[in-house]
Amino acid sequence: MRRLVAAWFIALFSATLVAQSQTPTTIPEMWNAWCARCHAKDGTGKVPVPTVKVQPMDFSNCKLTSSEPDADWQTAITHGGPGVGLSSEMPAFGDALSQAQISEFIALIRGFCKEPGWPAGNFNLPRPMFTEKAFPEDEFIIQPVSSHVKDTPAAVSLAAIYERRIGKRAQLETVLPFASVSSGTRETGLGDIELGMKYALTPRATRYLASVGFDVVVPTGSESKGLGGGKVFYEPYFAAATIAGSTYLQGQFKIEMPHGGPWADREVLYNVYAGRDLSIFPDTWTVGVEFNGENEEVALTPQVRRGLTRTGALAAAFGVRLPVNHREEQGIRWVGYLLWEFLEPVRPRR
Amino acid sequence: MGRISLMGVSRAGAAAAVTAGAAIVTMAASAAIVTVAMAVPAAAPRAGGTIVGVVTTAAKAPPPLRVTIDPDVCGQTLPDDSIVVDAAGHLAGVVLTVPGVRVAAPSEAPVTNDKCRFGPRVSLVRPNGTVAMTSKDTVLHTMHAAAADTRVLFNVSLPIPNMKISKPIDKPGVVMLTCSTHTWMRGYLFVTEELAAISGADGSFKLDNVPAGSYDIRVWHEALKAAAPTRVVVKDGETVTLNVTMK
Repeated sequence: MRRLVAAWFIALFSATLVAQSQTPTTIPEMWNAWCARCHAKDGTGKVPVPTVKVQPMDFSNCKLTSSEPDADWQTAITHGGPGVGLSSEMPAFGDALSQAQISEFIALIRGFCKEPGWPAGNFNLPRPMFTEKAFPEDEFIIQPVSSHVKDTPAAVSLAAIYERRIGKRAQLETVLPFASVSSGTRETGLGDIELGMKYALTPRATRYLASVGFDVVVPTGSESKGLGGGKVFYEPYFAAATIAGSTYLQGQFKIEMPHGGPWADREVLYNVYAGRDLSIFPDTWTVGVEFNGENEEVALTPQVRRGLTRTGALAAAFGVRLPVNHREEQGIRWVGYLLWEFLEPVRPRR
Repeated sequence: MGRISLMGVSRAGAAAAVTAGAAIVTMAASAAIVTVAMAVPAAAPRAGGTIVGVVTTAAKAPPPLRVTIDPDVCGQTLPDDSIVVDAAGHLAGVVLTVPGVRVAAPSEAPVTNDKCRFGPRVSLVRPNGTVAMTSKDTVLHTMHAAAADTRVLFNVSLPIPNMKISKPIDKPGVVMLTCSTHTWMRGYLFVTEELAAISGADGSFKLDNVPAGSYDIRVWHEALKAAAPTRVVVKDGETVTLNVTMK
């Protein structure tokens, strides 16, 4: 009898060991058992026997691993690659795993980036119309603006904006504006080119991101034709981003100082944006409103943004800047943008 | 004369399934291949008839597939299920559809990943029905479902053994199942709202409750086509035999 009991215990113990060796219970074990067969144990996507045709993203590449928000990763793991416009060879785990487990996977994936100091992609928030983002970006933007001031012909401008991330925390920016204005006769041509640099101050912060930037405006536009300011302007600014619940909050404070001009000629700009996504999957509509201030003039800019591709590589936005005070001087400005996040693959919506 | 006896006894068989535009087999005079009709004496003639038959082929089963990953679970080799044929040439996995005859929708079609094969290889699903997936294996399987036009319906991971996950199937057509982690795995969902059957391991099939009429039975197989079109005439209360050869 005693032998029988001993044998039974041994059998039970062995069965438990086998079960434990076969069924992963922790997130790292699950990664090694399930994900690593395509993504590799080290997250590089390099495996001895590939079973998928599309090479998985290299998660040890910090720029790729850090720059998108958790929600995008959550969608990719829950709904599979097509949820974010990527390969259908990445399966959906939303039925097999809890959202809490998926969140743990995201933390594990981000951990494949071994270099500290990359700003968290959670603060890569939707671009507002006027408020500078705190997050350094790789984007190309076309931004049309149509200004309507009472008793004055409409002024129209079209700016081409190129933003290029440098290293972990910095971004270069070039703004090439074209304008069409009228003060009796209509003049159309190049406006004042703007060159800028931005730098993230708090890459390790988990609740917010703060950045400083410095723009220089070069008087390439004709002042006599009303296309330019006629002076070099220096424009230092501070920008910050955070998320409160499911609301995106972004702010910017900027001073515009003319070269050689008296301090009294400075302009003070202050912008605050609040917005939220109406949907995450399969496509994202984001609605928001900006509070825009320029010296004592303030305005509100309600706006809506929509991702045009599942990867988020292309997006379009539209809004209108409505004056709160000094209504006649400010007028109304219709504004929009078409954005291309050029490091992301562009895939058409199905 | 066909291989099936004319005793009026339906051969076993056949589940359901259907297909789209495959070859059409007629009862024509293609000698040994096809047909024969016969009446089953019945006390009271009932509405609709039955089509039974056996699918055969001269094609041979392909050589086994060499397993490239997870041999401890999958084995060193696996049978290539693209042509499942026995020594007598009976062919399994052929879908025979009665065009124009709609049937009530079944609730769910189960497909299991077992030792790195989809089982059953071919399933019949109704439009707006569901496929219920499970895996018996301890390695990660996925079930990637793509329509003939390459539209991906879903790719679901099945990491936890015996967990059942159901997904909807919308439109008629042939849906191919693959696994992202085991490249040799293939399965098919034959999505149709029409009366259909799948030939079993002995090649036999049975289509019940077929309204009286003349039909060009549609035949689909993942690798083979019917040798000749087949027309069959169904009479109320009678069983018609339709043998089909695939090449």
